[in-house]
Amino acid sequence: MTVAPVMKAPLPPGTREHLLSPVTHAALRLQNAIAIASREFLAANGFVELLPPMLGPVTDPGVRGAKQLDVDFYGHRYKLMTSVILYKQASLLAFDRIFYLAPNVRLEPLETATTGRHLVEFHQLDVEMRDATRDDVLALLQGLMRHIVAHVLRECTGELAALGRDPGAFTALLREDFERMTHAEAVRRLQGLLHGQSADAEIDWYGEKLISEQTDRPFFITDYPKGSRGFTDGESRTEPGVLRNFDLIAADGFGELASGGERTHEYRRLIERMRESGENPSKYAWYLELARDGGLPASAGFGLGIERVTRYLGGLETVWQATAYPKLPGVLAP
Amino acid sequence: MSALSADGLPEESIRRRARDGTAAVFPALDGYGRRLYGAEPAAGGGDELDRVRVVPPVFVPLRLEKLYELGREPLYGDVDLTAAVGGFASPLPLFVCAFGSTQVAGAGDLGRAVSEQAGRLGIPMVIGENVVPMHGYRDAGLLSRIRAYAAAVPDGLGGVVVQQSTEDADAEVWNLVYSDPVATELLNTGRLAFELKVGQGAKPGLGGMTVLPRAAAASVAGQFLVDDAFGAGAPTVLRSSSPGTFTEEILRQQVHLMRNNYPRARTWVKLHPGRDVGQAAEIAWAAGADAVTVDGAEGGTGWAPPVFLGQVGLPLAECLRRIDKHEASLLASGRVWEGGRALKCLAMGATAVGLGRAALLAADEDAAEGLVRLVRCLELELRLLMSALGKYAVPDLGADDLWLPSEGSDRDRL
Repeated sequence: MTVAPVMKAPLPPGTREHLLSPVTHAALRLQNAIAIASREFLAANGFVELLPPMLGPVTDPGVRGAKQLDVDFYGHRYKLMTSVILYKQASLLAFDRIFYLAPNVRLEPLETATTGRHLVEFHQLDVEMRDATRDDVLALLQGLMRHIVAHVLRECTGELAALGRDPGAFTALLREDFERMTHAEAVRRLQGLLHGQSADAEIDWYGEKLISEQTDRPFFITDYPKGSRGFTDGESRTEPGVLRNFDLIAADGFGELASGGERTHEYRRLIERMRESGENPSKYAWYLELARDGGLPASAGFGLGIERVTRYLGGLETVWQATAYPKLPGVLAP
Repeated sequence: MSALSADGLPEESIRRRARDGTAAVFPALDGYGRRLYGAEPAAGGGDELDRVRVVPPVFVPLRLEKLYELGREPLYGDVDLTAAVGGFASPLPLFVCAFGSTQVAGAGDLGRAVSEQAGRLGIPMVIGENVVPMHGYRDAGLLSRIRAYAAAVPDGLGGVVVQQSTEDADAEVWNLVYSDPVATELLNTGRLAFELKVGQGAKPGLGGMTVLPRAAAASVAGQFLVDDAFGAGAPTVLRSSSPGTFTEEILRQQVHLMRNNYPRARTWVKLHPGRDVGQAAEIAWAAGADAVTVDGAEGGTGWAPPVFLGQVGLPLAECLRRIDKHEASLLASGRVWEGGRALKCLAMGATAVGLGRAALLAADEDAAEGLVRLVRCLELELRLLMSALGKYAVPDLGADDLWLPSEGSDRDRL
């Protein structure tokens, strides 16, 4: 078993101190600009913003080791959304291009409290395009990131200065295409850095930080192996076992910003992939009925972590600095 | 009842079915929660493993090796029984099998008594599926067993293995345990594993079964099949889990996903004695399982239809024959309670053997010391047998150490 070095990011101060901190003020203003720029870019590209559902009989199962939160819904067990992925796919029955700025709740393992990159309660910009390929969404996401960064460099000079973030950190991001490497290539590079990354698992948290330190602009890791992700990530038709998915990794050690890819949408494939990920298909009745009776549209999309993007653009030490009311795994806080 | 009779047919069994309907497909209900069920050993001599004899040789070259090492004649106290069991260090090639949600072990103190003693012995312990949906997580349920084990286990030894079935996935048992402070110490010392339950020996191809009062059935009806098997007006109903659908790819990917999602826990897979058990074990190991447990058709259960107990699944000996050697652990269970059967399993390729019903009976006999005493007996027998074979480490055991009367003088057929 690989045991990565323990990461020890600091924990948040009390609520008053955090809310009075100039760092919090600058980070939240930066976040506001990120939301404005995202909506501007997506609207210009024909996307309809929907308001996110918060509860459902099931939610995104594809989350490593994180527990879902149960809610008693008139005597039935419902879940708070770990992500709105299932609703994103369904919403394409109404519109061809949609997005949400959605709250997510995941009870992450205790060991993630000090990675500096995990929050129990966080937000994602969740984007989905009907009949799109992975290449389509990689291009869209690169365009979105550049639009956000250009907007922030223009509108948030004071905030960046207050946070001590050098605008030069984004020169390569604005000029050069984001590199794409397969998961297998990422594993090779990590093993070259003497990190014992498993070839058939998700890049571990430390590995992600390590590989992220080697570059000057964000990059995509594509083609994760099947056993590393939930059933909604689409499997390649030509390379069984390889997923048509990706992560967007920030430069300078800031790690993962987004996950996405082409989706599993055919009924029989959904059933198979649910079983391969140990799921009980009967839980997903509403979603499977949509897939069986008339079908779910083929699509691709991504979820971009808003607090993580804020952390990256602001150069913040930890992701909780990018939220007013941080909730960390195992830490009791308002 | 008329005077009609039918020699050569089990008349009473047929009449019971005619009287009681599908209730007669199951054991008599008054035994539920008090009896443990399993295959009846065949008349006149038990199962194949019982008939196998342990055959010490005259010439004992490995005893000579031990003599060199010690500088004196070796004795049974010199046998090294330590074993690596599914990634855990164990002082004995033994573990405690899963027992799940039936009344016998589920809600009472027996589960906790076994946990405490297994912990004290330092041998790994498996906690069965459906404990969480049926008995809850914190107080009476799963965590109390983990806590009892963790409080008693010596540093560096043993480990706790938590099963999750298809229905348990709804309750997210593994996610709960992985993030629970009660399990943190075990996790941090590499002594937590998760076991994917593909099946069990007593009822291959079926999921878990329990008998519930009709009033309690409504609360689990959304998750399980609730069946009027004992009659429409009967006070009890049958609650069945799904066995889960597996293909080679489903098994492979479920193991991959477990390793991906819980990188700090060990991964175990429990198989029923299916005819493709060898292939399934290969796939589980290749996907990265630290242990594959094969539960022979002799394996016990809290409840099963006798047609499965008596007529379904490969006997443990045949399972072991169908599974090729692998460097990861192969664990065997099914009617093991003493040293002879344990040694035969080890000699046929098992890394360790599991105590199921025997552990429950022992803890029922004496909640404080019963299991410890049972294990000490088994340990002494293993030492005596291995010493007699001139072998002082478990991996040295092999098929040569056994003889099956029906196979005459051909030693290679075991």
